[in-house]
Amino acid sequence: MLARIGNSLFWLGRYIERSEHLARYAKVQYASFMDSPLAPSKEFVLESILNMGGMYQSYLSQYPELSEDEVIHYVTIAENNAFSVQANIGYMRENARGARDRISSELWEAINIFYHDINNYSASRLQYEGVHQFSHKVEVNSSIIKGCIDNTLIRNEAWILISLGIHLERAIQVALIMLNKVYDIEKLDASNLGGPVESYQWAIMLKSAESFDMYKRYHPEKKSSYSELNFLLFNQDFPKSLAYNLQKVQGNIRKIAFRDQRNSDSIEFKAGKIASQFQYLTMDEVEGSLTGFLNETVANLNNLAALLEQKYLCF
Amino acid sequence: MGVGSIQNNSAEVFGNYELKPEFLDEVFSDERKPNDHYRKVLDYFAHLSAQDFKALNDHTKLSFFNQGVTFAVYSDKAKGVERIFPYDLFPRIIPAAEWARLEKGLIQRNLAINHFIHDIYNKKQILRDGKVPAELIFSSKNYTKAMLGVKPVGGIYNHISGTDLIKHSDGQYYVLEDNVRVPSGISYVLANREAMKRTLFNLFRKFQVRTVQDYTQQLLSIMHSVAPEGAETPTCVLLTPGLYNSAYFEHAFLAMDMGIHLVEGRDLFVDKNFLFMKTIYGPHRVDVVYRRVDDDFLDPLLFNPDSVLGVAGLMAAYREGNVTLLNAPGTGAADDKAVYSYVPDMIRYYLNEEPILNNVHTYRCEIDADYKYVIENMHNLVIKPVDESGGYGILVGSKATQEEISNFKDVIRQNRRKYIAQPIMALTRHPTFIENENQFEPRHIDLRAYTLLGKDKQFVLKGGLSRVALTKGSLIVNSSQGGGSKDTWVLAE
Repeated sequence: MLARIGNSLFWLGRYIERSEHLARYAKVQYASFMDSPLAPSKEFVLESILNMGGMYQSYLSQYPELSEDEVIHYVTIAENNAFSVQANIGYMRENARGARDRISSELWEAINIFYHDINNYSASRLQYEGVHQFSHKVEVNSSIIKGCIDNTLIRNEAWILISLGIHLERAIQVALIMLNKVYDIEKLDASNLGGPVESYQWAIMLKSAESFDMYKRYHPEKKSSYSELNFLLFNQDFPKSLAYNLQKVQGNIRKIAFRDQRNSDSIEFKAGKIASQFQYLTMDEVEGSLTGFLNETVANLNNLAALLEQKYLCF
Repeated sequence: MGVGSIQNNSAEVFGNYELKPEFLDEVFSDERKPNDHYRKVLDYFAHLSAQDFKALNDHTKLSFFNQGVTFAVYSDKAKGVERIFPYDLFPRIIPAAEWARLEKGLIQRNLAINHFIHDIYNKKQILRDGKVPAELIFSSKNYTKAMLGVKPVGGIYNHISGTDLIKHSDGQYYVLEDNVRVPSGISYVLANREAMKRTLFNLFRKFQVRTVQDYTQQLLSIMHSVAPEGAETPTCVLLTPGLYNSAYFEHAFLAMDMGIHLVEGRDLFVDKNFLFMKTIYGPHRVDVVYRRVDDDFLDPLLFNPDSVLGVAGLMAAYREGNVTLLNAPGTGAADDKAVYSYVPDMIRYYLNEEPILNNVHTYRCEIDADYKYVIENMHNLVIKPVDESGGYGILVGSKATQEEISNFKDVIRQNRRKYIAQPIMALTRHPTFIENENQFEPRHIDLRAYTLLGKDKQFVLKGGLSRVALTKGSLIVNSSQGGGSKDTWVLAE
């Protein structure tokens, strides 16, 4: 496989996951301030939405204040935002188009239809249908596309690299959701900590990671930040948890017979090192330094991706 | 009861269909009777309402759009606009016997052109014998010195040829143009057929239509046949200028269908006169390149030094015989409009045969007698510069004003060698579904046929791209100027 095509496929996977998580996060946060009395303030929510996409500063440089309609428009479809959900979907399609000859017609068509739909999404339609509808469309199409990836592609390097991109990006996105919520909770009044307002925010974290239902099945009684974080970090069987995704990252890298895989600088070695942390660490060991641990994990994953691109996917 | 004439047909969509004595209609005779080979189509269409046609048309358009069978239209908006190449529901049908003659003629013509290209880069015998004026070739900007003495595998230069044909009011086919550089459009032929099989399957199965789906496998086997010696399972690639090229869909489609790599210049490099591509496992040797990049951009060391679309050192690797290029560089010297007029002579000279396909009579303004005729008959002629393409610098005498004609006479006088003239050909017309009118109307059509030449093998695609001038009355079928296309059915019997 061409290195350039490998690069496109890897990023195809990443952009699918990135746009899906960005859209879902906006949807879930936005819905959260409608439920009083536990509801956080509107500004609290809008800031959180912008932070998730790393767009808080760029938004403020272009708009005077946090307005509900402007923030939602900015995050989803604004043409002046290179990191909007729509922009990410554009990049996804661009990568798919660049690797058109390596993917199935079914997958391409699913991506292309989705792209055109989102590309033509107007501001008035967004206002009429709301962020919920918009995000729902993104999530459903993301599932359709991932269905095509899993059901129509042979398990060769093309599938492995897409899958690698998906799991790597998902691990990063879930870690960012967790970080974002930890910061949000730090901003709460001390009087609210430990009470229902805080636990409401942890529930939002699970919903943002599409994990709420499975968490309830898994922990029917207990509801505590400890077990919620534990679930998203270390559950080995749940496809949104970091532990699960990092196993997949490691497994995918192993399946490709890259050169120079033996030494301690190799991506296989580094991926194994990150993944095994999540196999053998416990919640007790990281609870005291959660943000540090999450930040370090995100940095490790970004480094791993950079190394992969430099060594094998550059052209 | 069968369909006797247009009036009995579904009046809704054919009621206003207009025949003109000066143009031959592909479907209807002068007495408004359908030709035999179209009868079953009209029988079938008689069961469909205008509403049905509209629904079919919309359905097909959406299907093309979703598949990404589109070309980019550049606009000032940040987001690119994508358009489909308009496709018509009414297939163009060519009877078996008519096709058999075309096919023989196409192979003959393209073989002669191949001989000619070989000759002008080697012994130049045809020039020495005075059959073709030497200065015509040496002055061509497409004559490529780097090709002198090169011996491509199998002796093939124009592996892929696109020959543009029209049918005149005399019922005869004429070649209008040879395209032996980087002819395009084949993906539309294949996509049109797929669309036709999906939407009008009930009509399709009433006919024995020759397949077009074997094209890509034929092309791949042509590529294998001209691989450099020693390459047991040759690595073949398709070189594209990239995904912003207007024909990118076609490049991706062909690469995918052949199962070969779709590469860009930046994926390739030359080391010690061998060509390699950069893979995730390291460099991998490349043997055969179907390049969809023009000569000028192929190799910055030899041609345009600013090109980032090509590969530095590619021509050296090619000259060493370490890689095969399809088509060979420098083939453009054989398809300019002045050289066109010599193709019948080439057929006689190299093959010792009489040409099967007609050329349109061409007046070369450099010849005194021709020049005199052209100046006296400009209103009946099309005047074209020999070395430009895309319809630039052309004067259609019948549509020009007195002033335009007299100005053009001055232009010709200043550089007689640059101009040729041809009679205005009356392209046949064919019923075509016109969206806004919701009915079938006559439109002018041509035919681009595809011929493949490999080492000891020839293949002509049984079908081709029937291009339609969608603008009422227009004779210009180019997609950039409002052209569409039709699925082209060659009948098995």
